[in-house]
This record gives sequence, C-alpha cells and structure tokens, in this order.
Amino acid sequence: MTLDRPPVRHRKPAAPELPGPAAVLLRLRAPAAAVLVLAGALLPWASVVLPGGAYPDLATLQFFDAPHLVTGFRLHLVLLGLAAALLPRARKPAAIGVIAIALVHMAFLTGLGALSIGGPVTLAAGALLLWAARAEPPRPRMELKTPPPAVAWLVLLVAFAALLWLVSATLTAGGQSRATNPYGGAEFLAFLGFGLAVAGVLSAYGVLAWISAMSERHRIFSIAVLLGCALMLPFTQAGTGYWMTVASSIGVYAATAIGLNIVVGLAGLLDLGYVAFLGIGAFTAANLAHAVPFPVAALAGAVTAGVFGVVVGSPTLRVRGDYLAIVTLAFGEIFFRAAQNDIGGLTGGANSIPGIPPINVLGLAFNEPVGGLPGGSRYYMISVLMVAGAMAVLANLRRSRTGRAWLAIREDEDVARAMGVRTGRAKIVAFLVGATLAGLAGAVFAHKLGTVGYESFDFSESVTLLAAVVLGGMGTVPGAVVGASLLFVLPEKLREFSDYRLMLFGLALILIMRFRPQGLVSSS
Amino acid sequence: MATLAQQIVNGLVLGALIGLIALGYTMVYGIIKLINFAHGEVFMVGAFGAHFTSAYLLPDAMPWYAALPVLCVAAVAVSVTVAVLMERLAYRPLRDAHSLAPLITALGVSILLQEVVRVFYPGATAPLPFPRVFVDSQLTAGSLIVQWTGVLAVAVSPLLAAALHWYVERSRLGRAMRAVAEDPDTARLMGIDLNRVILATFVLGAVLAGLGAVLYGIHYGQIDTTMGFQNGIFAFTAAVLGGIGSIRGAMLGAFCIGMVKSLAGQYAWGGAQYDYVWVFVLLILVLMFRPQGFLGRLERVRA
Amino acid sequence: MTLIAENVSMAFGGLVALDDVTLTVPDRAIIGLIGPNGAGKTTLFNCLTGLYAPTSGRVLLDGRPLEADPAEAARHGVARTFQNIRLFSGMSALENVLVGRHTRIKQGLMSALFHGPAFRRSEAEAVERARAELAFVGLDPAGDTPARSLSYGDQRRLEIARALAGDPAVLMLDEPTAGMNGSETTAIRTLIGAIRDRGITVVVIEHDTKFIFSLCDHVHVLVRGRMLVSGPPEAVRTDPRVIEAYLGTTECSK
Repeated sequence: MTLDRPPVRHRKPAAPELPGPAAVLLRLRAPAAAVLVLAGALLPWASVVLPGGAYPDLATLQFFDAPHLVTGFRLHLVLLGLAAALLPRARKPAAIGVIAIALVHMAFLTGLGALSIGGPVTLAAGALLLWAARAEPPRPRMELKTPPPAVAWLVLLVAFAALLWLVSATLTAGGQSRATNPYGGAEFLAFLGFGLAVAGVLSAYGVLAWISAMSERHRIFSIAVLLGCALMLPFTQAGTGYWMTVASSIGVYAATAIGLNIVVGLAGLLDLGYVAFLGIGAFTAANLAHAVPFPVAALAGAVTAGVFGVVVGSPTLRVRGDYLAIVTLAFGEIFFRAAQNDIGGLTGGANSIPGIPPINVLGLAFNEPVGGLPGGSRYYMISVLMVAGAMAVLANLRRSRTGRAWLAIREDEDVARAMGVRTGRAKIVAFLVGATLAGLAGAVFAHKLGTVGYESFDFSESVTLLAAVVLGGMGTVPGAVVGASLLFVLPEKLREFSDYRLMLFGLALILIMRFRPQGLVSSS
Repeated sequence: MATLAQQIVNGLVLGALIGLIALGYTMVYGIIKLINFAHGEVFMVGAFGAHFTSAYLLPDAMPWYAALPVLCVAAVAVSVTVAVLMERLAYRPLRDAHSLAPLITALGVSILLQEVVRVFYPGATAPLPFPRVFVDSQLTAGSLIVQWTGVLAVAVSPLLAAALHWYVERSRLGRAMRAVAEDPDTARLMGIDLNRVILATFVLGAVLAGLGAVLYGIHYGQIDTTMGFQNGIFAFTAAVLGGIGSIRGAMLGAFCIGMVKSLAGQYAWGGAQYDYVWVFVLLILVLMFRPQGFLGRLERVRA
Repeated sequence: MTLIAENVSMAFGGLVALDDVTLTVPDRAIIGLIGPNGAGKTTLFNCLTGLYAPTSGRVLLDGRPLEADPAEAARHGVARTFQNIRLFSGMSALENVLVGRHTRIKQGLMSALFHGPAFRRSEAEAVERARAELAFVGLDPAGDTPARSLSYGDQRRLEIARALAGDPAVLMLDEPTAGMNGSETTAIRTLIGAIRDRGITVVVIEHDTKFIFSLCDHVHVLVRGRMLVSGPPEAVRTDPRVIEAYLGTTECSK
C-alpha cells in the first residue's frame, strides 16, 4: 500500500561488448571494489592519534599497525566488503552502506582536522562498487520456500532475537552523548548505515520477505515473540535509566505517529496540526493527575482528544483535498496559541503545569527502580504495551470494512462514494481513532515527564510526526514505529547537530517523496 | 475613534503586503492545484536577499531613491532563483505523483528554506533590523500616524496586482497560463509547453513576493525567518477567501485579512495575543461554508 | 425496482447538457443508451446515480426521490462503472471488490478493532462473496494482484465485479467495451446477459450500435441533451431520425 511510484527510469541499453582488456577491466570492477573496501577498512582513517573513542586504536599513519583489532566501523566495513565479494546480490546495498559509513566518518574527521587516507579510499571503493552494481542486469526476485511450522518458529525466534539485539546495539551505539564519547554521533550514524545495508542485503536475498511471510502465517506466535522481545530490552545493554527514558519517549511518539498514520497513511487526510491531540491528552491528564488514578486520567485524555478529533475532522465533510491540510494547520496553531496563553487556566501558559506525579498503580510508583531494573523500565513497559495496542488497532482496522473504506477514499474519493461509502463519516472516524491514540499517548507523556508545557506541541512537532510516518511508510503497520524511532533517536544521538534537526527533516521529506515515496518499510 | 482609524490604516498596510504574497499562491494553485507552502519562504528569502545587499554590498549612506531599486532587484533576484530551483528540483519530478506527495514536498521545502536561512545567515536566529532606506518621516493627522512606507505599500500593491491581471489577460504567456489552469492535458495537446508555463507562473509569483518582501522590510523595520511562514498562511487564507485562482480575489481577500487581524487584535476577545487565531477561525469558516471564496467558482466533480 | 428520470434537465453554467429527459428503467431488462459524443449520456448516468443533482426534474427510485448523493444511490441498489476506468489502483483486486461490498457488510467499529467472532464471520462471508464475483466476471478468485497491474480488459471486468458485489438492483455500465477487440466484446456481451439472468437490470452506454441493438430490450437515443427516440431495438434501428443523427447532417456537438 504505497503512493504511486514515480515513473520508472529507463535503464540505458547495455553497453556494447568491448573488446579484450576493456571488457576484462569492466568485469573486474566489482571484485576490485570489494578488495578496495577491505583495504580502506584497514588503512588509517585519522592522521593524528585521537584520545579515547572509536578511532585511536588504529588512528596513526602506519599501515596495518594493529590488524587484529578490527572492531567498530572497521569491522562493519570488512563485513560489507566480504559480502560484496562473495554475494553478487549484496553489492548495491553494501555499496550504499560503505558510502554512508565513509561519508559520516570523513565528515567528522574533517571537522577535527584529522582526515587521513582510509576514508577517501573507502568512499572511492564504495562508489566503484555502486557503479559495478548498477551496471549489472536486474535479477529476478529471490523467493524462499516457507518451511514447516517447527522450523518457522525457530527462525522467527532467532529473527526477532536478532532484531532485539540490533535495536539494543543501535540505541547504545556511540554511547549516550558528547559528554562520554565525542565521536558518538558519527559512530551512531555509521552503525545506522551498516544496519540499513544489512537489511538491504537480507532483502536482496529474499530473507526479509521470507520472514515476513512466515510471520504472517504464524501471526499470533510472531506477535507474542515480538512483544516478548520488546519487553526484554531492559535486560540488554540498553537497560540503563537513560536509555529506558529515551525508549519510552520514543514509545509515546511512536503511538502518536501510528495514530497519524491512520489519518494520513490510510485515509489520505493530511493533518498538519496533529500534535495538538497529543497536547490535549497531556493537558487533560495533567489537570486530573492529582484528582484521579492514572487509568482514569489516561481514559479522560484519550476521550477528550477523541472529541477534539471529531471537531477538527468535521470540516472534512465539506472541505476537499488539499484545503484540509490548511484547516488542520489552522486548528493546530489555534491550539498552540490557546495553550501558550493559558486558556481557561488549563495549560499553565508560560509556566507549564509542573509537579505531575508519576504513574502509580497499586502503590507502585513507576519512576522507581524495581529488582535489578533501572527506574524508567516500567514506563518503557507501558509504552511498549501502548505501541503494541496502537499497532493492533492499525492492523485490525486496516483489514476491515472501515479500513478498506479509508483506503478507497485515499485512492479515489468520488468512486468511494459511488460504492456506497459514507465518506464524511469514515473520515471523521479516522480522526476520532487517530486523535484518541494520540490523547492516550499524551497522558503517558504528561506523567512520564512530570511537567507539561505548550512548547512541546508546536508546529515543528507536527512536522516531525509527519516525517516519521512518511519515512516509515504511509499506511504500513510497522512504518510509523520505525520512522518515529529514527526521528526521535537521532536528535538524542546527534545533540551537536540539534540546530540542523528541522533542516534535515525538511530535506528528508523532499528526498523521500522524490525517491522512495513508499517509505523505508515496504516490500515494493 | 482614533484607535479605530489607526487600526484600519494598519490593516490596510498589512493587507497590501499580504496581497503580494497571495497572488503567488493563487496563481500556482490555479495552475497546478498545489498549495505551495514554500511560497511564503520565497517571500522570506527575498527579504534576506535585500538585507544582505544592503548590509554587505551597498555603501552605508545612499539616498533612498538609489537604494530602494537596488534592494528590489536583489530581493526579486533571490526570490526568483529560489522559486525556480524549487520548481525544477522539487515539484517538477512529482508532476504526476499522488496528490499528497507534492504537498508534503512543499512542506519540506518550506522547512528546509526556513532552517537554512536561520542556521546559515549571520544573525538570523533573532529578528534582524531592516535598513531604513525609505524616508523615515510620517504623515500625522491628529493622533493618526501613517508612515510613508505604508502609503507606498498600499499604493504599489494594487498597481502590481492590476499589472499582473493585465498581463495574464492580454499576453501570450498569460493566455497559455489560463489554458493550463483550465485543462492541462488539452493545453499540452494544443502545443503549450507545460513546463515553461508552470515555471513562468512560479517566476511571476516570486517577482511579486520579492517586491513585497522589500516593502515589508522597510515598513516594519525588521525581518526574521518565520515571517514567510506566518504571512504565507495569511496570504493563503486571503487567496482562498477571495476565490483561489482569481487575482482580484486575492487582493480583496488580503485586505480583508489585514483588517480582521488588525481589528481583532484591538477589539476581539483575547486581544493581540489571539489576533491570528481569528484569522484562522475565519479561514476555517470560509473553507467550510464558501470554499470557492468571494470571486471563485465551484469545481465540478468529474466522472 | 424501477428507476425513473422524470423531466430531468442539467445545465453547467450556460451549457445545457440534458434538456427535459425522461427515462424509465424497468425491472429485469437490458437498457441501451446511445448517442453521439457529447449527447449527455454520461451526464444522465451521473444524475441517475446521484452524482449530480439535476437542475430541474427529479430522479425516482421505486417512487421515492433519489438524494443527490452517490453513497445513498449505492445503498439503494444503484451501482455503476466508469467510462475511464476508475479502480482503487493501489488496492488488490479482492479489496476493490470488498469495497464494492461495503454497504452490505455489517461490522461495528468496536468489533473491527478486536476482530471478534462476529467480525470474523462477517469478514469471511464478504471475502467469499467477493471471490465469487471475481470468478463470475472471469478473474482469478484469489484477487491478490494490485488493480493497477491488471490488463486493460481485466480492469474493466474488475470494475463490473466491484459494482456487482454491492447486490445492486440496477447496474449502470458506462462504455464497458470501449477499447476492446471483437472476442473481448463478445465475452462482455455474454457477461451482461449473465448479469441480467441474475435478476439485475443493466443500463449500458455504448457507441457500438450493433452491440446495443443485438443485446438490449429497450434502446434510448440521446442527441444534444434531448431524448430523441426510445423503443425496442428494431424500431429504433430503422427510425429515420436516428439514422440522420448518426449518419446524416447533424454535426457532432462537443
């Protein structure tokens, strides 16, 4: 379920057979590039010894001074180089990964004034590899047979465990912040490039499609295992108070993004003021926090946001297409202005609403550590459950009369009407469901932070949520979660780039719409 | 009474300035049915282009009649460059894509331009003072104060709109524009170069936005990176209010918006803190109850 | 069920597309609607399916006036296809047909959220019916191909299956054989016969007069917004006004 793809770019006809040595050279491009990647990985990357961090071990001008210490991004490069040498289908994703890793580290090292030959060599190798991969004729899609249940279960178990490891490794890659590791940002981005390359390789060999077919067949089992894996995260290396807090924030935004995905991805209604619903849920829960227990406050937040969702959605009965984007933008700005000016004494205005107590269920305050787990683990658990619930809502509605009506509206509203779909009602239901999810997330948000202020709900947050949905893949179930995770982890990892955050989001929106409108998570 | 008159004057000036942006919105939407969110940013970069010229290129003391044309040329040049790049690189590849794609792209372009200026333009993280090149004196009638810059804006803006109207009605390119707005496919079959017409539309809009940016700068005396987005929303509202696709409608709508913001900030509930909330309320009501605006026409469902 | 257009006129600005047209669609019949380009055939379809509100006159469904709302028309059993194919191109063939079944599926929002037993029963029934309709028009009942990847002829068939899935009493086909070759046209003719045999009234717009005259029980000829002739095929075929309209001096208005 994706947007229309951009017109197919026609490949240039294959170059005519060149005689003798030229042909041999062309054929040698790929192996040469693979070897060059391996060489680049082992060459010195920094021209001076940098204290601490990722680079120092091998960061001298000496060649191969410590060949057995291949760790971190060098290990990743070696793996990608080997993959490119041995697996023909892996060349294109490996090339992209190599280029990403090289570019990121080169940018950082240039910034430090310590760039050495390793980076440029690797970059050239990556470019050569990409050139070789693009010249190859397209191959038919790989299809793997679905194995018997017992094997399938085992594979799924391994796959999801690997996913858990990947998530934990990605979260902790490069450490917490600049304070502990000055190269944290570079390491994280490079790891991300590696992760994407690995995913690309797996996808090229049909492994991802195979796993997704198996998980579709053994749906209940997969969901249980996936949920179990998600809940295991506090027991991995990411199980520190800091990462639990980050992960539960991601959960809050992911649940909100899933709600937005219903509105934008399924029903095709572009909402540019969506963060207001998160805000309404948060302010409702904050005002009730001292009066009622958390479940009641959360319910109230969800219901209030849902009611506002219907109010905001009601112009959709009369407003067609693009105008709706402007109406929702206007509603979002009205909410922001109202919250800023402490409307009705409900939002605290510039002072925010401080002192919201942590969630407390049966005498257990959620911010305290339990057992061996750090504080914040329980917020993480609750946000995992919330995201799982939101995903279930999206997936179940997607495969129902209501969900099909939304898709039909997105595809062609006039025809949807001619098929008997009451489009106005369907759109309002989309807003209702989406806003309710955001309101629920808002209630958790308020309790988790302990304070809620209007500045958390400005236009740039709506844009970030939209970017998350678009990046992940509009209308896909895991898309919003992947997108939200990336967009909310990145600023955490790249604090030194916080000034460029929105700029990069803007650029990302343009590039995704241009080159991959179906988003990251999509089989096509 | 004096306050009322003053607010009306303020509203007229604001309306005149918004009108120049609204013309760009209305033309682009009329022709390719795209809400070009980034058009406000075209206005904003024009203002920064003029600021750059004055701060870094022009000598300090220049008579206004020499400085003003230079600033206008600089603003228009920057605006047009950005608009052309935007159309060529971001929108043109998406001409046949799903309707949400160009809209999301437009939003992306808007954010990108805003942030690029904010991060890279020296001092743009805070509002920048705009050079006071135009006579700094004012007309006073009792307690009523009218700045000459305001008079200039109110005089120039409708003139430019009239010129645009004349151009679209009379010129060869204008006729092509109207044909494309009516039916792009047929227009193409008739031999009209779609890409050229669309690009020309962006250029015309950018010229007006650039001129508007200079008028804005000399009147309000300061510019910042959010001016494009905020005034862009007002301008879009004006274009819808007047009837999207209509040049006269855009000007009419703009003066209405200027008045509403100015008067609501003074007299409506909540005062100046809520002034633009009232503009949005007006926008929502118009879109709901008269989406074709004052001078627009309703689109027919095709089957 | 009878569908009646009573003195329907439709004007767009100054252009009169339909001028005082009266048309009765009786139960269980195949009705043909022919006429030169721009005669107002599709406009009449749009009035009959609630897409347009006639400028004057009214449309009656079983004696009750029809709201100008396509969703209501569909609910009351008036289904249609489109002249330029309009499928939900990003959805699978099966999903397209399931959308066509929309009005006949009973699923509450809550049951859809939790996929409870009642939901699963209703969903299974709907899917079974949708597969049956795909098979009926001659498409693969699995239906998991995206609609946009189907061949042109299959897309036309899919539009018919989608319209049939809503249990219509009247099915309106707007140029179902446009762009098809001889054997495909024959297959569509057989299909329309089979649809009539299911007890569904079929109204067909066509340019191919041979196709219409050999298939229909009644034929209506629309010229420049006016109903020129109505009657059984033999009578219409030999009517001098029709011959003039098609072959004679009348220019084809656009």
